[in-house]
Amino acid sequence: MMKRILHTGIRLFLLTVVFAASPLLAQKNKPAKIKAAALQVEMIESDEIKLPAEFQVALYENLIRQLEKNGFSHVYRDGDRNAASVADLVVLHSTVRGFKAGSERARQVTTVSGATSITVHCQFTRSDGTSLLEQDVNGKVRFFGGNLRATYDFAKKAAHVTHENFSATESK
Amino acid sequence: MKFRCATALVGATSLLIGLVIPVGSAQQVSGPVKVVQLIGLAGIKDKAKGTLSVENGHLHFVHGKASFDLSAASIRDVVTGADSQRAVGGTIGMMSMAAPYGGGRVLSLFRTKIDTLTVLFRDADGGLHGAIFTMPVGMADVIKKGLVAQGAHTAAPGESTAVATPAPSRASLNKEQK
Repeated sequence: MMKRILHTGIRLFLLTVVFAASPLLAQKNKPAKIKAAALQVEMIESDEIKLPAEFQVALYENLIRQLEKNGFSHVYRDGDRNAASVADLVVLHSTVRGFKAGSERARQVTTVSGATSITVHCQFTRSDGTSLLEQDVNGKVRFFGGNLRATYDFAKKAAHVTHENFSATESK
Repeated sequence: MKFRCATALVGATSLLIGLVIPVGSAQQVSGPVKVVQLIGLAGIKDKAKGTLSVENGHLHFVHGKASFDLSAASIRDVVTGADSQRAVGGTIGMMSMAAPYGGGRVLSLFRTKIDTLTVLFRDADGGLHGAIFTMPVGMADVIKKGLVAQGAHTAAPGESTAVATPAPSRASLNKEQK
């Protein structure tokens, strides 16, 4: 009887160890972060999708703000001449791939309809155009807030993707 | 008969005045316009209420003691648009959502129309910035005309329509820079 309890205990312990260790192993398999001395954010492109100007500007401004909040001390804007002299510069090109305007009124009245959503294709490159990472990021507002809040949601997610894949280093 | 004629005359006159006055007041700008700066001006918090005016070749925004001046020549694009906002907003609007039997939702149906003004400009280093303002209906076009007259660039010189104006392309912004 005692032997059986002991065996069961050992099995349970081993099972726990295996489950607890799996996330740690997964983290070890993650690719190393790409070093970036600074980031340059290009203006949001929306050639294919008809996007209102205020959404374009809100996406751009929120993105810069969130990147600065996420530990990048040097975030250069589109056209900033100071970025040209930075060695490990990463340039973020964003292109709008999908946009659903939604309705704040419909959201507040029905709760289930009227969501605003934006899908943006983010491409990180070096200054010479070498691609480092490409990913689609979306922004949504489902319940509270105006339509422009979707741009804030996108910016937070895009900044998270940047933080996950790039590490800020001091520029030389 | 006389009474009916007089009533009809008064009604017609009121209707005419009602139609003419909003157009007149919308097109005239006598001094600063009350606006809300949604995002974009450095040193000024988001959703800051203030006044906007075009003076001496500058776009001038004042919020309390803080102010922001922007040279019209540095503006790469000015875009106007139309939007709407809740008639009852803020804390009261949020609290009303908790009203029983969907009473708060009824309030959400009442909305006021507003104009949006989006300004794209470059700083001294060439960095591109964007700022968004909301203001009473009819005011965005007046501000835009004032800015264009004082040297601001714009890709769409016409007045705004009910449909939102599309975003300017990077190519057009860079072309104007050269």
